[in-house]
This record gives sequence, structure tokens and C-alpha cells, in this order.
Amino acid sequence: MSHYWPLTVISMKMYFRNRQGIFWALFFPFLIMIIFGLLDFGGFNAPDIGIDDRAGNSASKSLIEKLQGSGDDPILVISRGIESTLLAELDDGDLDAVFVIPEGFAQPGRRSTVRVTTDARKPQASGVAVVVLSDSLENLFQEMATVPDEFLIGSRFDIDQATIEGQDQGFKGFLVPGIAAMAIMQGGIFGVVFTLVRFRAQGVLRRLFATPISPAHFLVGQVITRLTISVLQAYILLAVGALVLGVSIGGSPAAWLSMTLLAVLGGALFISLGLAISGMAKTEDVAAPVSNVIALPMMFLSGVFFPVDSLPDTVARVTQYLPLTYLADGMRAAALEGAGVTSLGPEFLGLALWTALMFIVATRTFRWE
Amino acid sequence: MEQRVNKAAGNSYVIEVENLVKRYDDLTAVNGISFNVRRGEVFGLLGPNGAGKTTTVEILEGMRKADSGTAFIDGIDVGRQPKRVKSIIGVQLQSAQFFDHLKLTEIVSLFGTLYGKKVDANDLLERVNLEEKAGSYYAPLSGGQKQRLSIAVALVNDPVVLFLDEPTTGLDPQARRHMWQLIKSIQDEGTTVVLTTHYMEEAEELCDRVAVMDSGSIIRMDTPDTLVEELLATGFTHDRQPKLANLEDVFISLTGRSLRDE
Repeated sequence: MSHYWPLTVISMKMYFRNRQGIFWALFFPFLIMIIFGLLDFGGFNAPDIGIDDRAGNSASKSLIEKLQGSGDDPILVISRGIESTLLAELDDGDLDAVFVIPEGFAQPGRRSTVRVTTDARKPQASGVAVVVLSDSLENLFQEMATVPDEFLIGSRFDIDQATIEGQDQGFKGFLVPGIAAMAIMQGGIFGVVFTLVRFRAQGVLRRLFATPISPAHFLVGQVITRLTISVLQAYILLAVGALVLGVSIGGSPAAWLSMTLLAVLGGALFISLGLAISGMAKTEDVAAPVSNVIALPMMFLSGVFFPVDSLPDTVARVTQYLPLTYLADGMRAAALEGAGVTSLGPEFLGLALWTALMFIVATRTFRWE
Repeated sequence: MEQRVNKAAGNSYVIEVENLVKRYDDLTAVNGISFNVRRGEVFGLLGPNGAGKTTTVEILEGMRKADSGTAFIDGIDVGRQPKRVKSIIGVQLQSAQFFDHLKLTEIVSLFGTLYGKKVDANDLLERVNLEEKAGSYYAPLSGGQKQRLSIAVALVNDPVVLFLDEPTTGLDPQARRHMWQLIKSIQDEGTTVVLTTHYMEEAEELCDRVAVMDSGSIIRMDTPDTLVEELLATGFTHDRQPKLANLEDVFISLTGRSLRDE
């Protein structure tokens, strides 16, 4: 019993002294997060604007035409509706901004205030929407040469910057928890595989086998170290996502509890998978490609970068059961929607089943030499 | 001190091996060997590659199960209680390394705790002349230093028997002589040593008795001196009369005895 602790301390020491290992465990996911986050695939499209046209007159019609632009590619993609529905869509992330054109819009002698609601988490789209609206109103003003002087552009609209507790934080919001999940997978699989295969190749494991300890003593120390790292990694990457990419994470203690438990269970799962791989792979030359063959497809099929439902149906039907899918989905629900442990039943069940399976394989295949 | 008394007590044979057999598929690595090792002696296992030395030693160390036969170390059945045996022996394995990112004192202390002992790491490192390296990491050590560390680690549990598997392979003449001194000093403290080696001058220098193995069997076992006398008695002579010094003596007299690994 007393052997667990020293081996855990030692394995921690070894991990944290290996600066290169730490660097890659954090830097690689960080790099991917920043690159994809800056690309911001969500920002490539023309902003989606919802308009509630309460005036329904020729001036409002003219304004909407200007907002759409005359070219083949619309400047703003317009959908019509009433304000409450449009705001709900904005909240869900389906729209980038909502304009409300008031009754009696542009009637001479009246102040016309176009109310604009934007999503604070989509500064790019909001900015474009407001600039285009301002330009269009300016154009409209010049066309209507008959209006009196007091009909001033500046007084015609306000901009109401909304901060919405929405379900959707755009691509960055999708990306950050996914990357945290991916990092847990990478750390578990690659960290364990390379450490164990190296220890075995160097005869370190054989030397331990010559002492009266059992494999469990050694493995427990390794697993505890990796789990600690797995949780730290998740925290750090989520924090980077929040601070650098402006994604709002978690919120409630319940959500943080979910994220921590997910990191622990996901860590246990991928560590077991790593142990299983290192048990089956005879040499380092085999272990590396085998690890990649398992990890790489999961990276792209488990909803880390793109939602699983954007995959072809037949593929999605299989990939929804991948271990990383459960982890990424759970992380995302906890990080973005503040999901507590109880509402993540399917994710925890999926992770637990995979962990049990991998643990059995890992213990069956473990070899000292 | 109690341990020392204990080592000298009991049966005069600390290792008793009878009809040990180990097969791998269709290869019989160890073919029914029997031998005893006396308390306090340095016992050599000699033989060409593939003779079965390492397999024999690994069975005695509790790392492999024999297919048949028995082996007792200090009265403990190795096949039945490998962990008890592991806890009273010291082991230096051929080409086994230690953790890269640990300091030598940490490695020694860690292994102490694996045997449930609190050890004075600096003291053990001093015994193998590594006191200056106590605070440095394992990875940059020279071959000779790594071998000496593995001896220090093998001594953490104050073993009844110390198993050394080719401890001087790959060392320069200075480091090899230093290792011989170390092994002699360990024997002087009452520890039994089982040594496998390919170097006959090493066996002659260190071993009280040697067993010569070939194809899984022990073909001859006696003191080095007796074995040499027996061969001479058959009328054996060298083609060339050996001189009173050899090239290694020249090498040592030219380069000195002091250790070179920094």
C-alpha cells in the first residue's frame, strides 16, 4: 500500500521536469485553438440580419434593398419577422443582429429611430451590420431631397449593444471546449504510450519488476500523474479560450464540477487506451503510428472542430459513439450551457463504458518487458 | 548489524537449485541444472551466448517461472514466493536503465521505499564512489557510472544475495578494475554474489567457484584454480608461452588506474 505514494510523487517529478513534454502538452492544443479561433470560420459569411419592418412604407422598402446590396453576393443576409422571434433567433446564434424599423419611418419632420440589437460576442458581424446600416441611411437621406433640415441622420438610430446569455458562442465557443477534450485525449494516449514504451525499451520496467512491487503500484502512480495533468490541461485551455478568444466559460460551480469530472473520466479513459496501445505495441516504431491511427480520425470525427451532425449521416451514426465525441459534447455542454453532472447522463455513461473496456484491455496487455 | 549476523547464520548454502528446467517453445534454455551456492562466496556463471546463464539468473531472481525443478534462496522457494525472494535479493540487470528525469539520490531513495526501507542515499552512493554525482540526473552519466548506480540501487535492501549480470560489459579497463574492487568489498561485508560474465580474467579475479554452462546444462563446476590445473594436467599448453605481462597491464601502466568517467 505504502508504495503508491512515493511512485506517484516520483512520477509527478519526472513529468514536471520534462519541460518539453509539458510544452507540447499545452502548446500544441493552444496553437490549434488560436489558429482556428483567429480564422473564425463563422465570420466568413455575410452577417445574418433579422428585420422587423413596422413601417412597411416605400422608404423602409428602399432601406432594406440598400442593406441587401445590388451585387450577386448580398452584403447582409436579411430575414423578416417580428422583433420577439428575431431576438430569440439572435439569442440562439442564428442571427448576427436585429434591426427594428419604426412605424412611420422616414416621414418628414419625425425622428426615426432604427433600433439595432447586436451580439456582443460577434464583434465582426455586429460591426459590419452597423456600418452598412449607417451607410444605407445616409444614402436614403440624400435620395429624399425634400426632407426638412431637422431630419438628421445622427438622431435617426440608436445602437443597442446587447449582451445575451445565449446558447451559441459561434465557432470559437464551439472550438474551445472541443480543443480541451482533444488535449485530454492527446495527453492520455501519447503521454502514456511514449512514456511506457520508452521505459520498457530502456529496461526501467524490467528493473521495477525485479523489486517486490506489483504492476498496480507502478501504474497507479502513472495514472494519478496523468489525471492531474489532464485536469490542469483542461483548466488552462478553457482559461486561454476565455481570456484570449473571449469565449465565456462555465459560470456556475456545477458547470465547473462537470468539467472537472469530465476531465478526470476522460483522462482515465484515454490513459487506459494509451496503456492498452503500449501493451500491444512491441516497439516505439509501432506505438507511434498506432496511436496516430487511433487519435487522428477521432480528432476530426468526434466534433472537436466541426459538429458531428455536419458529417454524412452514415458516418455520424457511428462517430456519435466515439469516446472523444462523448468527452467533447460533455465539455461543450458544461462550458457553454453550464450543464450540471445530472444533465450529462449519456456523456458520463458513454465515457464510463469506454473507460471500463479500455481498462480491461490495458490490464490484460500490460507487460514489464 | 543484525542483518549481518543473519547472513552468516543458518544453512551453509544460501542458494539451492535442483533439476531446474526452462523451455521456450521448442528451445530448452535451461536443461535440468542443479547447483548450490555457499554463503559469502562469489559464484560465477560462465558460458557462451545462449548457454542459459541469464535465464537461470532470472529464474533465481523471481522474474521467470521455471517449468520444473526447484530453487531456494535463503530457504525460500523462488517459484512459490517470488516476491519474498525479490525482497531479500539485490539485482543488477543487463542493460536495464533508470528514470531519466530523476537525480541519483532520488533513484536510490525511491528503490529503498519499494523495499519498504528508508535508506541513506548519499551513503550508498558513496559506497560506489558516486558521491560527487549525488545531485545530478541519471541521463548524462557515463556507462561505468550507470553500472555503479545500479549496484548502489541493488544494495538498498541490504540483500542476502547480489545478482550481477555482466556488470563490466562495455566498461574501459579502469572502470572494470574499479568495479572488481567494489564487488570484492561487497563480498567482504558478507554478501553472497552471483556473477555472470564473458570475461574469464574477471571470473578468475573474483570468483571463488564457477559453473561453466553450455546449451542449458552445467558442464563443469569448481574453483577457477582447480579447473585450470585440471586442464594443464591433460597436457594442455599455449602455442606461444604467455609473457608475465599482457597488453592490458601495459594499458593500465600507461594510463593509470584512476577513473575517467566525469
